[in-house]
Amino acid sequence: MGTVLRLAWRNLWRNRRRTWLTAGAIAFSTILLVGWVPIQFGAYDIMINATLRVFPGHAQVQRPGYQGKPKIRNAIDDAETLANSLRNGSKHFTGVAVRAQGFVLLSSGSRSYGAQIVGVEPEYEGDTSSIPGLIKEGRYLSSIDAQELVIGSALARNLKLKVGDEVTLLGGGKDGSVAAAILPVVGIFDSGSRELDRFFSEIPLHTFQDIFTMGDSAHTITIMGKSVEDQAQLLTALNDAIRDRGDVVVLGWEELVPGMKEAIQIDKVSGFIFLGILIAIVVFSILNTFLMSILERTREFGLMLALGSRPKRIAGLMMLESALLTLIGLSIGFIIGTALVYWAHVSGIQFPGAEDIMEQFNMPEMGRIYPQMKLFNFLLGPITIFVATNLAAWVPILRIRKLEPIEAMRTI
Amino acid sequence: MSTVSLRKVCKTFGEGELAVHALRDIDMDIGKGDFVCLSGPSGSGKTTLLNMVGGLDRATSGEIIVADQRVDQMDKGQLAEMRLTTIGFIFQAYNLIPVLTARENVEFVMQLQGIPADVRHRKSREILEEVGLSGLDDRKPAELSGGQQQRVAVARALVSEPALILADEPTANLDSVTAENLMDLLRHLNDEHGITFVISTHDKLVMSHARRLLKMHDGKIIDDIQQR
Amino acid sequence: MTGQSLPLLATLGWRNLWRHPRRTLVILFAIVLGVWFMIFSAALMIGIVEQQLQDTIFNLTGHAQIHNPKFRDDPAIEHSMPAPNQALLEVLNSRDVVQWSARVRLPAVAMSVRESRGVMLVGIDPQRERGLSFIGEPVVEGRALESISDNGIIIGRRMAEKLETRIGQRIVIMSQDRDKEVADRGFRIVGLFQAELEATETAYVFAGLATTQKLLGMGSDISEISLVTNSREGLDPLVARLSNAAPELESMSWQELEPLVVTAMEFYEAFMVYWYLIIFAAMGIGLTNTMLMSVFERTREIGLFQALGMRPRFIVGQVLMETLILLVIGITIGNLAGWLTTDVLLASGIDLSAFAQGTEQFNMASTMYLTLRPNDLLQINALVIALGLLASLYPAVKAARYVPVEAITRT
Repeated sequence: MGTVLRLAWRNLWRNRRRTWLTAGAIAFSTILLVGWVPIQFGAYDIMINATLRVFPGHAQVQRPGYQGKPKIRNAIDDAETLANSLRNGSKHFTGVAVRAQGFVLLSSGSRSYGAQIVGVEPEYEGDTSSIPGLIKEGRYLSSIDAQELVIGSALARNLKLKVGDEVTLLGGGKDGSVAAAILPVVGIFDSGSRELDRFFSEIPLHTFQDIFTMGDSAHTITIMGKSVEDQAQLLTALNDAIRDRGDVVVLGWEELVPGMKEAIQIDKVSGFIFLGILIAIVVFSILNTFLMSILERTREFGLMLALGSRPKRIAGLMMLESALLTLIGLSIGFIIGTALVYWAHVSGIQFPGAEDIMEQFNMPEMGRIYPQMKLFNFLLGPITIFVATNLAAWVPILRIRKLEPIEAMRTI
Repeated sequence: MSTVSLRKVCKTFGEGELAVHALRDIDMDIGKGDFVCLSGPSGSGKTTLLNMVGGLDRATSGEIIVADQRVDQMDKGQLAEMRLTTIGFIFQAYNLIPVLTARENVEFVMQLQGIPADVRHRKSREILEEVGLSGLDDRKPAELSGGQQQRVAVARALVSEPALILADEPTANLDSVTAENLMDLLRHLNDEHGITFVISTHDKLVMSHARRLLKMHDGKIIDDIQQR
Repeated sequence: MTGQSLPLLATLGWRNLWRHPRRTLVILFAIVLGVWFMIFSAALMIGIVEQQLQDTIFNLTGHAQIHNPKFRDDPAIEHSMPAPNQALLEVLNSRDVVQWSARVRLPAVAMSVRESRGVMLVGIDPQRERGLSFIGEPVVEGRALESISDNGIIIGRRMAEKLETRIGQRIVIMSQDRDKEVADRGFRIVGLFQAELEATETAYVFAGLATTQKLLGMGSDISEISLVTNSREGLDPLVARLSNAAPELESMSWQELEPLVVTAMEFYEAFMVYWYLIIFAAMGIGLTNTMLMSVFERTREIGLFQALGMRPRFIVGQVLMETLILLVIGITIGNLAGWLTTDVLLASGIDLSAFAQGTEQFNMASTMYLTLRPNDLLQINALVIALGLLASLYPAVKAARYVPVEAITRT
């Protein structure tokens, strides 16, 4: 085996330019692939994490049917007790927060706007939502029964509210009665999500329950897990924890934000198709190199056959050569590609104008992408190229087996 | 006035211990209309000398004058120009462009010279007839015999009316009958058109056709014989 | 000299290509695939932005709008504008404007028996909206509004679901009037409209212009005038005329109204060039390689060329010509394949309705249309030819650099 390997290796270097050019082509496409997949998947991660982190969380506990039709009457009884039991229930839960929600008319002195109002636990809300940390002016809510309100920046602007101003809430309570209150604005938040900033405001949970005659009930318990990858275990743990209560169900983020999974799906599929086509182009590009190198050496093969070599051995030698050639290209491409990805991982990739575009798509965070560093992602590309290129190389190689020695030697 | 003049021309390949002195202090004059043979064993320098005259290679030192021009001082472009208009070549093998027909091969140089199509066609037809190949105009080199290929090469060398035709062992791949015919043709053309011929060879048949014989050995001209 | 040589180079180039038919076909296929891919991806990307652009314009923006200078920042009732004056009417009714309409567009709350939602109340002149915006299209259920004094209301189909109501039922619209008092009124739902995005269906409710003005005590005041012209481009002169006719109001083209879409288009166009370069790199290496091989195996022949007096730049020219012929064939077939794919095969777009919620997430329609612009084709073709010739420059120059005596004596 050693001799054959050495022979194959030396053969490669007989025509240095061709070897380098082919290796170069392979290296180029390897770089492309090694970079693409991590970036693509990195972008998904960002998308998911960014969206979930702001408000929805990784999972929520709700009454059945609430997600589809969020009626104020469909509330979880004794919500805080349940939340407390969850809080210490599993290492998979990094944040647990109770929320109550309703629709109200908010009026400042000069304006009125319809808005969504959320009653939160100020102590725990920060574990499941980034809003408490995104206060632009003023401060977040101080305690679970304070008479305070925080509001999204766009909504504040539309209502012409500043910190310290009072705002009137008008809505319908759980028992059908009118729910009304006047609360001071203590903080204005800027979440980066157009929807949240334009339609959301938050008040302390007990205050909400008071105004809307909820008693001790609330609408959702939001759970934050360790990471998106941990989702399956999170859901299992959650389902276990609520088993005793037959009146609630668990919804994972895929049900909470259904569009996102599909959006990612579309992107993944189209990404793979695009990559596949690109690889095909590269393979055809270098196919000629393999073709011609076999053709050129026909005389040499004829000689080898005349001297007693078996066609299979020659074919095997050729396959070894193309494998080595591919490996050279792959290694170079892999090293350069991973270096680039690592550098991007550390510093983030930014496209000019991308942030604005992503804002439009409700994903401002994607203006900057941090590639995902996972081994599988890195290897997927190179392996594909290796297989594709060698398969292509074998097409001319298999014809070697049919060579006749004298004919071959007569070829110019 | 000579068509070709060489003064103290030297050509050395390689350096130091490995240096090969292919040509040593060559002095030579070839007149217009001359039919000269350079003869000698392999390594005597005849091909190298031919390459010098034809501007295919550069001399290490010395003057080379062809048709009143200093070849040794020309740049690549000027050399190409000279080869196009002043000199015709016939090689031992691989004289023709494989993808072109016989007629197209003959017209090749004329096309490079910018001669209009109708003139080209007329001239190529005449020349092919003169070398005895009419009817084979549209064959590609692969479809012609060795002798026929050489005749096409001759036709091409001739058709651009050069001052000088250089032939490097033109009969080397031919059998004796074909070789004889080829040499007769060359002498005939020399008589008819007055074009200067310089032919390198180690074939006695070719040497017997020459009007002047320059014998070479180890890079020097050792004899200059006027025949016929 | 070139006059006679060009046909010669072309002949040599063409015949050289077919010396090794398989090799030529392989690289040709790579070129065709590359060109096709460039065209396809361009059509896809531009199609996406084009769709967004058209949707934005059709979605009440129009080609241009006139409103109170403060209205854009703060769409409230005190930032209304008066009905158009004589000067403005003249411009609006001129030949440049195909259709225009006045609207009231103010925030309100829609309340059904069971639910309430924040909405945009839009008072329209139904006749004039035809051809101007999506609400001019027929409704999917019930009837459209018939006049500016129509007492009915049109809401989105998915809005009806969210409000748990249906045609024939009443909903109450509540908003703020001129005196900052709450103004409300019941409307009967007479029709349901459908839009591509759920967001559109739940954002707007439409009522008669006069009805809305009466409800809010606006008199003859309106929120905005929207108009469309013959073309999306070159709106500056018209906008200038509008500004002159009503200097106290703000007249804006859609590009100023929706700069994000403009940015998106520019972003994609820039991105595409990079994408072309990547695709070209993929096939370019094969091109260089193939030409290099071709030159290498013709060393003796090239030596012959030189011996016969072919100048170096003609030798370069011969190799380039060969590449050019190859590229032209590849481009022709690639263009044909590209056109077939985008304008024939996928003329009705790519159906993503299975992923409808995903596309909604991206604010995209669930059918992706491909848009092939002549400019893009031109750009792609020019790029491929220019880069292709560049790619073969190395082999070409190499050929010209052969030393004749070495080349000829090569076995």
